Amino acid sequence: MKRTLPISKRGLNFETIMWFFTRLSALAMYGFIIIGMIGALVMGARMNMNFADVMRWAFMSNSTHVQSTNIPDIAPWANAFWRLVASGFLLVASAHGVHGLVVIADDYLVKPLQRNVVRLLSIVMLVSIGLIGLYVIWTA
Amino acid sequence: MEVTLKVFRFNPDVDKKWRYETYKLEADPTDRVLDLLERVKGYTDGSLAFRRSCAHGVCGSDALRINGKNSLACKALVRDYGEKITVEPIMGLKVIKDLIVDMKPFFDNYKKILPFFINDSPLPADGKERRQSIEQRERFDDTTKCILCACCTTSCPSFWASDDYLGPAAMVTAHRFIFDSRDESASERLHILSETSGIARCHTVFNCTMACPREIQITKAIGELKLAMVTGNLE
Ligand code: FES
Repeated sequence: MKRTLPISKRGLNFETIMWFFTRLSALAMYGFIIIGMIGALVMGARMNMNFADVMRWAFMSNSTHVQSTNIPDIAPWANAFWRLVASGFLLVASAHGVHGLVVIADDYLVKPLQRNVVRLLSIVMLVSIGLIGLYVIWTA
Repeated sequence: MEVTLKVFRFNPDVDKKWRYETYKLEADPTDRVLDLLERVKGYTDGSLAFRRSCAHGVCGSDALRINGKNSLACKALVRDYGEKITVEPIMGLKVIKDLIVDMKPFFDNYKKILPFFINDSPLPADGKERRQSIEQRERFDDTTKCILCACCTTSCPSFWASDDYLGPAAMVTAHRFIFDSRDESASERLHILSETSGIARCHTVFNCTMACPREIQITKAIGELKLAMVTGNLE
């Protein structure tokens, strides 16, 4: 007889879900970076960009990040697809990072009040980073 | 060889602050650090306080920080440490006197995980033992070796940060029962592990594995628990 426990029987709470999310979001970030690097190569990075510019684009595919390169025309790269990639990366990375900070804080703060304050501050931080970032990405 | 033994001292009745005392001793390379402490206590300074019982690495009472690394004094050979040996209490627990720490937070965490066999089903038809295959027994063999010395838990930065954290020793015990095919409380134990002070506080630092005097693969065991929480597979 195989011993398995259904989800309801293994304490699937916020902590466990976020543990899983942290792993998956890390993988997703690799995915975003690979997409960004492929994009940069298609753009002509081999001849017209230095490595820093490639990285800047791979980490955040915002057209202003490559405006000082030798790519002749960056206008077509400011399209909705790349803005969506940039937005996806921004949201996944900030959630991953801010939750990382909460995890570290939880190591040291054990009182419910302290933990709730940290959670509240992190939510405020996450929402503001998200909003400012999306504004920059979609208006650049 | 001559060994310089530097020992952490603190007597709450007299000392305002801890201090170190140095003793020079003649020792054989195959002497154990525990032998040196016994010699100091027996012949030089009877007020030195430390715990020990079996002196054979079985009872787990003499976990100490020797040259910065958690070990059992009764298993630590002088030749592995050299001529200068510093002995301090294990970290993250309050010092009661000299090398003796208050183990209560450690055992409180141990108790949380229900460290006993739970099976309320009726006995098999023959009324005898609940049978288990060799493979099923093998599954949790490594984690049965724990002697609760606290070397692992007190080497863990998450435990230094907070007494609330279950700690590796409690999780080793959780592993021992969760993967035991005869035990029926895996669900309850996984719920306890999933709390904020539970398995999420393990950041895979590996200090526990390096500190374990029984060479239990603790980080691996904790990894298996994390996987069990995500997949539900208890095999
Ligand atoms: S005295 Fe028992 S383990 Fe060392």
